[in-house]
Amino acid sequence: MTLAPGWRRLLRLKLGARSIERDVDDELAFHLAMREEKLRRLGLAPAAARARAQDRFGDKVAIRNECLTIDRHYAREVRLMEWLHSVRSDFQYALRMFRRMPTLTAVATITLALGIGATTAMFTLVNSILLRPLPYPESDRIVRVIQSYPEIGLDTWGLNQMNIAQYRDRSTDFASFAGIRGGSVTVQGPEGPQRLSILLVTSDFFRVIGVGPAMGRPFTAEEDSPGNNTVIILSHGTWQSRFGGDRSILGTSIDIDGQPVQVVGVMPASFAFPRSEIGAYMPMGLDPLRRFGFTNSGIARLKPGITPEHAERQTTAIMWDWSREQNVADGAIDPSRTRMKTIVRPLHVAITGASARPLTVLLAAVTLILLIATANVATLLSGRATARQREITLRTALGASRKRVLRQLLTESVALALLGAVLGVALAILAVRFFTHSSLATLPRIDAVAVDGRVLAFTLAVSVASGLLFGLLPAIHAGRTQLASGLMAGQRESARGGSRKANNALVVAQLSLSVVLLIAAGLVLKSFQQLTQVDLGFQPEGVTSIELPLPQRIATAAAATNTFVNATLSRVRAIPGVQTAALTSALPMGGNSDMDGYLIEGRPVPQSGNEDQTYRVAVSPDYFKTLGIPLQYGRDFATSDDSTSLAVAIADATFANRYWKGADAIGKRVRTGGDTTWYTIIGVAGTVRDGDPALPPEPHLYYSVPQVGGNPLSLVMRTNGPSASVIAAARSAVAEVERAIPLDDVKTLSSIIDQTFATRRLTKILLGGFALLALLLAVVGIYGVMSLHVANRRREFAIRLAIGAEPRALVRLVLREGALLAGLGVAIGIAGAIAVTRFLASLLYDVSPTDPAVLLALPLLLAAVALTASYVPARRAAKSDPLSALRAD
Amino acid sequence: MADTEIDLLRSSLDLLVLKALSWGPMHGYGISEWIEDATSSLLLLEEGTLYPALHRLERRGWLTSEWGVSDNNRRAKFYRLTTAGRARFRAQAPLWHRHAEAIAVALRRRSVQPS
Repeated sequence: MTLAPGWRRLLRLKLGARSIERDVDDELAFHLAMREEKLRRLGLAPAAARARAQDRFGDKVAIRNECLTIDRHYAREVRLMEWLHSVRSDFQYALRMFRRMPTLTAVATITLALGIGATTAMFTLVNSILLRPLPYPESDRIVRVIQSYPEIGLDTWGLNQMNIAQYRDRSTDFASFAGIRGGSVTVQGPEGPQRLSILLVTSDFFRVIGVGPAMGRPFTAEEDSPGNNTVIILSHGTWQSRFGGDRSILGTSIDIDGQPVQVVGVMPASFAFPRSEIGAYMPMGLDPLRRFGFTNSGIARLKPGITPEHAERQTTAIMWDWSREQNVADGAIDPSRTRMKTIVRPLHVAITGASARPLTVLLAAVTLILLIATANVATLLSGRATARQREITLRTALGASRKRVLRQLLTESVALALLGAVLGVALAILAVRFFTHSSLATLPRIDAVAVDGRVLAFTLAVSVASGLLFGLLPAIHAGRTQLASGLMAGQRESARGGSRKANNALVVAQLSLSVVLLIAAGLVLKSFQQLTQVDLGFQPEGVTSIELPLPQRIATAAAATNTFVNATLSRVRAIPGVQTAALTSALPMGGNSDMDGYLIEGRPVPQSGNEDQTYRVAVSPDYFKTLGIPLQYGRDFATSDDSTSLAVAIADATFANRYWKGADAIGKRVRTGGDTTWYTIIGVAGTVRDGDPALPPEPHLYYSVPQVGGNPLSLVMRTNGPSASVIAAARSAVAEVERAIPLDDVKTLSSIIDQTFATRRLTKILLGGFALLALLLAVVGIYGVMSLHVANRRREFAIRLAIGAEPRALVRLVLREGALLAGLGVAIGIAGAIAVTRFLASLLYDVSPTDPAVLLALPLLLAAVALTASYVPARRAAKSDPLSALRAD
Repeated sequence: MADTEIDLLRSSLDLLVLKALSWGPMHGYGISEWIEDATSSLLLLEEGTLYPALHRLERRGWLTSEWGVSDNNRRAKFYRLTTAGRARFRAQAPLWHRHAEAIAVALRRRSVQPS
């Protein structure tokens, strides 16, 4: 009996599944045969012996299957163990190689870390903002409801309170529907007045969002009606910071805008809607008949299985029905002939939709960077693969299969990529933390941005893919190498021919990818420049604003408002350093402008709800002067334009030119919203941009504060030089007039404008940064490849020099090669850019995706930089020392 | 058969296999003969159940197997105890003794009173 330990296992593993079956069958057959033989020896007849043996054996089929199952599992385990073992030894070998080449390893790791880090950081943003569901139960069923009526110039506008009541009561698609509106209130307390951003809601809000107060109770349906809405639910943050987390606050009254309001609940700490700044929730006091003030949004929870599109059709039908009922009398237009409709979007899309395009473009940009980095490392490795030719050839000669050598090389590159990934994730975490705490962090859901399991899985996948990619090129090349050629030193040059071609292709790829990125960044940069050069219609520099939320007793009484305005302005204007000062109900781009329908005296009255829309702003005298808005015709408001005198208005040029020409507007009368007073136009002011500057300007009507009121007002001052002392003086001036006004909201007008540009600025800065990084990597890449070429041809250059070649001719030779690569890369890059930049169109303003200046200038810049990068190795070629070069091998 | 009975039989069968192989490499048939002989035919009611036990023990690393030639010149699969298998046997045997002893003592008791 001979047993050679181990050989059988190896053999069985090679033989696979069929041999497992044969083994079991043979083994069981042997047992039965032996038993049968013994029984026969004991005297049984052959047939009886066989039957008896089988009987004693038991259920042969079941036993065979059980053995097979066990053996198959076992074989699989053994294969897995052996595979893991070989992977581990490959990794250990890789680490030994890295230790032997520390510089190369470091350069490759850092290059990869930059690429992987940038990709991980961007994916963290995309994942947290766009991919992760909102933190509310079954949040995919929550939708936002607004409306659109393009014919009167409103692509998106809010709901009025009547809409809210109708959609809430008539729609069958919603499990629950609530109206919401942002607002702010003044809370009086021992530390003086304080401003609080709040959300005004209807009582179903908590049912829609699926989260209720952690303490206390939600609002009741009775508290929806005006007069009963003197209750408040605090955010956890307000409860902590303002009331010290005191549980006894529940049921007590606090002073909100001069009224006692009962605290009925506190939201959970984790709850933030729509933003974390919201400090409290109050019932809006819904008036189901109120048709003015389209400043609300709806949010709703769809019934299971209902799509937003279905709900959109249903709510639109509800709106049309109502519109027809209203217009029965005057035989009005059929609303279904208009493009008037509701817009029902998943809440997630409504919140993050605007950032989806910039974020995806940025993610695409970093992916290009990672590709460039990958190509870079592939170049580095292929340089090394040439150097390792002999080792690989030796291993092949010693019996390693081509597959095995390939796997070893790929393991090395994946190990390298994983090193890069570790460093890259660390970089990404730092970058994300820095970013979310910087002033650039204006994206929605920025509070929720964090590296999570999905990000890490993404990074792992991306790194392994990158490792396989940059490993594959040199590995295939090595695998193809003929056995003999590597061992014969003289033939090394020919082996390098292949890797040289591969390297050239890699450089061209890197250059063309950089060109695409540079062009994309250039287009976005140019758009941003165009946009910031749009004439806003006012001069924001040097203007500071302080928000003044007025107590009700001042805001609701015309005489008190008038006194307050005059007293405040005369005190503030007396402050040294204040050139001009004024009050306004809304700052341009401040986001709290009021829009309303209007009528013009003597013109046909449009159907109710079909009026053209205009911004309405209440201002004091000197407002236009303070903001630098030119008054084109007529006169400014005066202190005499108060509640006792003729009602007056100033139109802006956009408004006036809709109906009249130039000064013709003066003397015409208009009225807005539910107001029954006609206002006489006394002047025409210059057009002002009050929203995204990329969109056409909207019309404005200005009123006199004492005639129409306005709360909160903003004090605007144009000051000389730095204004810290002026602001302090202005605050005490206001406090002298009225003590109960919180004065903590101070902004410069420039910072408000910056907010408007925030997402575009973010895109510009990041894309610009990525393009620079790409440029850098590509330049390092072309430098590396040209150096490698020069080093490989050192003998050739030395011989050429020795037989009398001009050093300058050698420089030209190398430069020509560099120029060829650069030219090819740039040409492919421009073609690629033309193919992809149309996806940028929505990020561009007043720049064509194929803007010739950008399309030519940036590639030329890149080509110049690339040529410079190949000049250094070219000089080295010219300086080759014939003797040392020839002696080297 | 109840599950507990199967478990009991299975672990006692495992132990017997380890014991059988402690004498040296054997094929399955040899092991079954040894068990039959050693337990006076009490334990191995169906001989076939021995084989899943052998394969399971091999998978756990306590046995290895090789094909060899039997005494009467047939191809047979021989099992051999590994070092781990030997250690397992040394650890399990005293345990089994204690269990068996304890159960035997308990079954011999003639009184409900604690002694």
